[in-house]
Amino acid sequence: MNPLNPEDIQDLKQLIEFLRENQVAEFEFGRGDSKVMLKFEQHQPSAGLPDLTSLPAGARAASTQIESAKAGTAAGAEAAAELDAGLHVVKSPIVGTYYGSPSPGAPPFVSPGEHVDKGQVICIVEAMKLMNEIESDGDGEIVKCFCSNGQPIEFGQPLFSIRLG
Amino acid sequence: MFRKVLVANRGEIALRILNACREVGIRTVAVYSEADRNSLHVRFADEAICIGPPRLADSYLNVPAVISAAEIADVDAIHPGYGLLSENANFAEVCRASNIKFIGPPPEVTRLMGEKEKARQAMKKANVPILPGSDGVIATTEEAQVWARKVGFPVILKAKAGGGGRGMRIVRTAEELPNLFHAATGEASNAFGNGELYMEKFIEQPRHIEFQMLADEHGNVVSLFERECSIQRRHQKLIEEAPSLQVTPELREELGRTLCRCLKEIGYQNAGTVEFLMNGDGQLYFIEMNTRIQVEHPVTEAITGVDMVKAQLRIAAGERLDTILPPKIEIRGHAIECRINAEHPQKFTPSAGKITAFNVPGGNGVRVDTAQYAEGVVPPYYDSLIAKLIVHGVDRAEAIARMERALSQFVVQGIDTSVSMHQAIFADADFRAGRFDTKFMERFLAEKVESKAPAE
Repeated sequence: MNPLNPEDIQDLKQLIEFLRENQVAEFEFGRGDSKVMLKFEQHQPSAGLPDLTSLPAGARAASTQIESAKAGTAAGAEAAAELDAGLHVVKSPIVGTYYGSPSPGAPPFVSPGEHVDKGQVICIVEAMKLMNEIESDGDGEIVKCFCSNGQPIEFGQPLFSIRLG
Repeated sequence: MFRKVLVANRGEIALRILNACREVGIRTVAVYSEADRNSLHVRFADEAICIGPPRLADSYLNVPAVISAAEIADVDAIHPGYGLLSENANFAEVCRASNIKFIGPPPEVTRLMGEKEKARQAMKKANVPILPGSDGVIATTEEAQVWARKVGFPVILKAKAGGGGRGMRIVRTAEELPNLFHAATGEASNAFGNGELYMEKFIEQPRHIEFQMLADEHGNVVSLFERECSIQRRHQKLIEEAPSLQVTPELREELGRTLCRCLKEIGYQNAGTVEFLMNGDGQLYFIEMNTRIQVEHPVTEAITGVDMVKAQLRIAAGERLDTILPPKIEIRGHAIECRINAEHPQKFTPSAGKITAFNVPGGNGVRVDTAQYAEGVVPPYYDSLIAKLIVHGVDRAEAIARMERALSQFVVQGIDTSVSMHQAIFADADFRAGRFDTKFMERFLAEKVESKAPAE
């Protein structure tokens, strides 16, 4: 087979990106003597969940607020990755709305890279018109903030990851 | 009609409510504890919010968590189901203050019916027959004798502060009253720190009969007839039927009218059930009212054709009963429900764990309300009801045959269930003949123990 020239490789990289973004499983392309065949690894559904995963999930149409709370599962996946990296994840003890700063426009309580002490206020979760201050449950450095201002928060939702120590 | 409703409950009733909402185009929000993450009510809701750890007090009974979830999901109304917060007047008030419609009666009415003495007085005023009893606490044995003559033997002395059968004595004659009075007072003092007693008429072998009522928010009330729930163990219902073999058309008509008048007078709204004891002569006595939908509502749905949960939603949305219900409601056939619990069929110990096989019966006239499924897990934190098996037949004989067939096809593996206990009851001659009262299970279980003993 003729070796691919740099332009071809560039095209191929773009093609692969495009196919991956659009979740194509297999792709075959031929021109003259050349043929390209690409096969992508299928995402395995998480084991342990019964065949209900194939059910239409209650026709869950995109919702404005709770979709971002459902992104709790995306954040959950992120947080799981952080846990694997040995980081401590602070989770919300209540249901409500997240605020990263004491008032609109004010600087945030904490930022990534900052050191926090155990008991220090790191965010607010508003519930039933009450502003509940959420405290860090350990000493360490803020690594990541998972939520944005005004985001609906459920119980146990990951808020921050902290490198303890 | 509401745009969005939050279901403040779990298990089969949460799914039941979600189903009704879905069918009328209402968007649904489920709340769940961490133990219920993989529940069907979570999977089938349009939106779901985790509100706490497994313990009820921290999750489903946690009012701020439920209300907060309702706020962030921007719902119009909350349906509380049964149990949990459904008869909590404070919760209904918080809903009102938060501008969220509580699907049930107003908090004041819930509170009224929740106070036993006030409820009795309200019923008495409306000429609903109540269980005769003393006006409050009895100070001396002399007073007790006077009351006993008025009420008529047999009577039961009960501890005011009590429950669980302690500080209670059944008195059949005037001679034995003084000793039993002292015994009850002593026991109550020891158990509850308060020896005060009141008296009620004692019904020897009562049957439990209850009337299903629906009221709109415009003063209209309708009776959806009765259910009989005499098959109980330790005051927990196991089997319910509609109609009751003991209720004559005249009694049904008359009591229905009286109850409609009564509920209208007290300003009742939405669904509610009025519970009675029936004595050996067919006389009914009011015991209490439940201001919510009940577990056994499907048997009433079967014989009337009325979808009770949809009626609740529509009533709460302001519709009038004459647009919700057909002009004439009649009893069609006979329906029976068995509550299938995750428990050992003889020992009644709760059985939590993973279900490995779950085959639910179907076919003509069979309905199963459940939130369980194969590979599902029954958590140890909540009540043991895993399914309701309801059958409807042209008459009681067909309903019984249908239930026996359905029970034989209800296969659950991995946990214990009460299916075989129900099968044994349906094989019992007295049950089949309709010869039972609330003591049936005691006798039935005692007989089983006796008949087992010789073989061992």
